[in-house]
Amino acid sequence: MEELEAESLLTVEVAARNDDTLSVRLVGELDLSNVERLEAEVAPTLAQHPKRLVVEAGGLEFADSSAIALWLRWSREVDRFELRELSPLLRRVLTAMGLDGRMELGA
Amino acid sequence: MLARRARGRRSMFRLAAVTLLVGLIITALLTTVSHDVFLRNEHRLLRLRIRDAAALVTTAVPSVQTPLASVAELADATGGSKAKFRAFAAAYVGAHGEFASLSIWDLAHPSRRPVAFVGAPPQLATLPGLIPSFLQRVERSTTLGVIGLLNPSDSRLGYGYSTPGRGRYAAYAEAALPRNRYAPVQKGSPFAGMRYALYLAQAKPADLLATDVHSLPLSGEVTQRVPFGDSTFVVTMAAQASLAGVLPQELPWIILVGGVLLSLAAAAGAVRLIERRVSAESLAGELEVVAQENRQLYAEQRSIAQTLQHALLPEELPQTQVLQTAGRYVAGERSVDIGGDWYDVITLDQGSVLVVVGDVSGRGLRAATTMASLRFAIQAYAAEESRPEEILRKLSGLLSVTRHSQLATTLCARIDVEPRQVSVASAGHLPPLLLADGKAWFLEVPVGVPVGVDPRPDYSSVTVPVPAGATLLAFTDGLVERRKEQIDAGLERLRNTALRTELALPDLLSKLVADLTAGEAKDDIAIVGLRWKS
Repeated sequence: MEELEAESLLTVEVAARNDDTLSVRLVGELDLSNVERLEAEVAPTLAQHPKRLVVEAGGLEFADSSAIALWLRWSREVDRFELRELSPLLRRVLTAMGLDGRMELGA
Repeated sequence: MLARRARGRRSMFRLAAVTLLVGLIITALLTTVSHDVFLRNEHRLLRLRIRDAAALVTTAVPSVQTPLASVAELADATGGSKAKFRAFAAAYVGAHGEFASLSIWDLAHPSRRPVAFVGAPPQLATLPGLIPSFLQRVERSTTLGVIGLLNPSDSRLGYGYSTPGRGRYAAYAEAALPRNRYAPVQKGSPFAGMRYALYLAQAKPADLLATDVHSLPLSGEVTQRVPFGDSTFVVTMAAQASLAGVLPQELPWIILVGGVLLSLAAAAGAVRLIERRVSAESLAGELEVVAQENRQLYAEQRSIAQTLQHALLPEELPQTQVLQTAGRYVAGERSVDIGGDWYDVITLDQGSVLVVVGDVSGRGLRAATTMASLRFAIQAYAAEESRPEEILRKLSGLLSVTRHSQLATTLCARIDVEPRQVSVASAGHLPPLLLADGKAWFLEVPVGVPVGVDPRPDYSSVTVPVPAGATLLAFTDGLVERRKEQIDAGLERLRNTALRTELALPDLLSKLVADLTAGEAKDDIAIVGLRWKS
């Protein structure tokens, strides 16, 4: 029963940096249960049209296809979109989805 | 629930009543015990006081006997000289003396008159019937003879004394008793606060000598007999107020009132406690009802979602003379929503079929409608185009992640019978597994982006020859994916399980789903299988 409403655990830190870069730090699991919350949290800052969006994904343990769809949409809204410190697990998911060439994957 | 509440209420009142009863019993016991202790203590104190009073009365004997002894000695020595007697006795009589009347009597010549007297005439002289026996008592006694002359108008107490053995003269004194026998205890006296009555010989009204109350007997009195000369006084005493003080007297009442209040408070506390428990229980009961309703709604919604899901999936897969096909859809444990996974098998020309498996991101009606439109679009494209990579390219015009917030991974495989081969193209989808000749391997398919990422993407296909009797399995990630595990591990698990399992195609699919999910699919699973019969 509880699982119905339960959100997966995800902490989000949004920081707009001086150099016109929006940084989004994600820790936990990102999936359908919380992807809308993440989008809503980032939307106000994204509306100011930063040039660069960096997702700090070092603490991200899981991302489903709805998460990847969100990243793809974000990547359309900025000049440069970067996924940093993505775990090997998630890199493999991106490769399996043929998206490894579509996203800039930082170290 | 009403019954439970009524039960709770009954037990509540029972417990409260028991608490109150126990409290009252304890209170009664304590009150009784403390009252008893108080009474015993009072009695003991009263006994001590009456003993003091008796001692005081006893000490009065010498103060009466000494002057009388002196008078008797003087009379004997002077041969009953009236003058000597009067001179000596004057100090003891009148306003400053202790006697109302003092006289000497000749024992050798008993008559009804004294030899001489000072003060008032002795009343004894007016009571001739008493004289001989009293004088006889005095003559024989070694101590003071006492006689009550309790004439209501002028009551006196008479004392007689003669020198024991050799006295010829007896000294006789009369002391006036207080008017109406009423003599209050003086303030500041050690006996202040006491009630008393003094009797001669017997504690009866006729013998009353003095008291400080107007009606007798005293309530709660104690009695002490005090020898006085050849007679006996009886003292009775009672305390006006508690002798031990106010607190011991009030203690039983304090215990009683306090105990009753405490018992009531305890009973009220018990009622409150049970009320709280009853309301907690009824709340739990209500929550259970809500949870039950939720479970039912959940089950209903889940069954609606599954019905809809199955309506959107192929009812029956085409079977040919050479190709056997089967499909399974399993809704994830957590899904009350319809999902976006699908599979399809479409008949093409020349005995070929197109096998499709796809997964639209997200859930719910939006994902399902996107899934349905993609599925039917592929059916339409397949009518004029059989190259999988072309079908996927065309499909990409239908979906945009920017506009629809959705993307779809899709695998498209054309199965040929003559020659026996498979051509596969992938839009971000996991590769199919091929089982043949006791081996199992994933086809190395060039992976393009998922449908929706790029409006005009490039896809390419790989064509692989297939041995007779081979089985092809295409599936969505729900079958192999586990959180916090590399996807290759899941793929390997599938490969190994499939390799171990030799079953008819439909049973193989069911077994794979059951084994890989351990009977509990987290995510939705679509799987489609195809087997070349020859």
